[in-house]
Amino acid sequence: MTAILTAEAMGKAYGGRENRLPIIEGLSLSIQRGEFVSLVGPSGCGKTTLLMCLAGLIAPSEGQVRFMDRAVEGPPIGLSVVFQDYSRSLLPWKTNLDNILFGMRRVVGMDKAAKRNKAKEILAAVGLTGFESHYPWQVSGGMQQRVAIARGIAAQSELLLLDEPLAAVDAQTRADMQDLLLDLAQKFQQTCLLVTHDVEEAVYMADRVLVLGPRPTRVVREVVVGLPKPRDQLVTREDPVFLHARHEVLQLIRDMRHRKASA
Amino acid sequence: MNSAVVLAERFRVPLCLALVFGVWQGVHGLAIVPDKFFPSIPAILAAFWQMLTDGSVLVAWTTTFLRALIGLVVAATLGVALAILSDLSPVLSRGIRYVSDVLQPIPPAAFVPMAVFMLGLGVKLYAFVIVLVTVWPTYLNGVAALQSVSPVQVNTGRMFGLSRSQLLWQIRLPAALPQIFTGIRYAATISLIAVIVSEMLAGRDGIGFMIYKKVNALRTPEVFGLMFLVAFSGSALNALVAVLRRSMTAWHMGMMERRE
Repeated sequence: MTAILTAEAMGKAYGGRENRLPIIEGLSLSIQRGEFVSLVGPSGCGKTTLLMCLAGLIAPSEGQVRFMDRAVEGPPIGLSVVFQDYSRSLLPWKTNLDNILFGMRRVVGMDKAAKRNKAKEILAAVGLTGFESHYPWQVSGGMQQRVAIARGIAAQSELLLLDEPLAAVDAQTRADMQDLLLDLAQKFQQTCLLVTHDVEEAVYMADRVLVLGPRPTRVVREVVVGLPKPRDQLVTREDPVFLHARHEVLQLIRDMRHRKASA
Repeated sequence: MNSAVVLAERFRVPLCLALVFGVWQGVHGLAIVPDKFFPSIPAILAAFWQMLTDGSVLVAWTTTFLRALIGLVVAATLGVALAILSDLSPVLSRGIRYVSDVLQPIPPAAFVPMAVFMLGLGVKLYAFVIVLVTVWPTYLNGVAALQSVSPVQVNTGRMFGLSRSQLLWQIRLPAALPQIFTGIRYAATISLIAVIVSEMLAGRDGIGFMIYKKVNALRTPEVFGLMFLVAFSGSALNALVAVLRRSMTAWHMGMMERRE
């Protein structure tokens, strides 16, 4: 396996010399091709800032991020983000299909017709056949989210960064969406990095869970989830391996919270 | 909800007109103000018909409406262009801001005497006055609209590899367009005000000048008739803006209707 994304001793701080607010400090991580990795951490630890740094949308203050063996200095080709705020991330003046096609603008080696066909195929894969010419605001929140995920997949990126994509949906939809995401990752051989605050979700989805420390954050533990795929909402969640991994991560995060409360 | 409400909804324009005319006639009947200064609706209509048949009002109206329309188009284009420039350069933005803070509160009427000295009584005067007062609502709304585009939308564009100028044309301007149109709509009314005032104070033609002449001749029915015509012109200008807006930001109107 080869690393497609690495961060080395990366740091990010806001403010000037006097009111310096460090968010990330000395963070290192590495994502291999074909993996599904989850990033979890206590709330407010700087997950979204980290994701923005990894995506090249904001520049780190120290260290560097490398993507496909190149230093990241802006949003690199081959890396897509599914933003948490999907309703804003989808462009409301474009139809669902045009939003997907917008995500494919940097895909090479395909003419317009081929892109349209591919876009329709991916919309079908997320269960949205028949909604191609609807606008995002004409469909439900859950459907908008699937359009956003479809757009991320359609970009044919080496790496898909998912910023709490399921934070806003109800529990039942959430479980369905988790399985849909895993399915899509499998089907399109998509390497994924999922940022979430939900420990169960992090463990259920991932091959590896990276646990972030409190702010200024860094990776404090790596938990390898040795569970077979495809996963199953009932069987997997009752598997001792799952329960053990979940316990380990939850324990870590609870300890951090206690230390913060007593400090 | 019953049929009366539906009926009222369908016939709201004639109903409102009937109400206004009814009240008008009522007040006229009470004779609080002498008939000479507050003519009845039939007298106004007769006077208006007279002006319509001798052709004078049509010529004046075309002149005035075209001035307001051209002024609006020029001012809106300039306003949006300035808003884009301001967005690209914070220094320029601050500069224009000082200018607009000083000029914006000045009513159009106050510009006219100075403009007469500077530019004479011609096209230049109209161009100057109309643009100077009409440009600000489009400019200020444009700046605010471009600034309030969601960072998530901008980041989405950046992530898919849009350059700075592509971000402007493909993300920020489309996202800002609904609010830009709010400014243009406001500017439409101001443009008409500026034209009428300029014509009244320094004009030789147009509806404003006609009103001025009729006032001096104490032809009150004609004055009221022309006043109603100005009101109609304002609505017509607004309607033109609305048509353009609907064709350019249909998505936004659909989205708003859905939210209600």
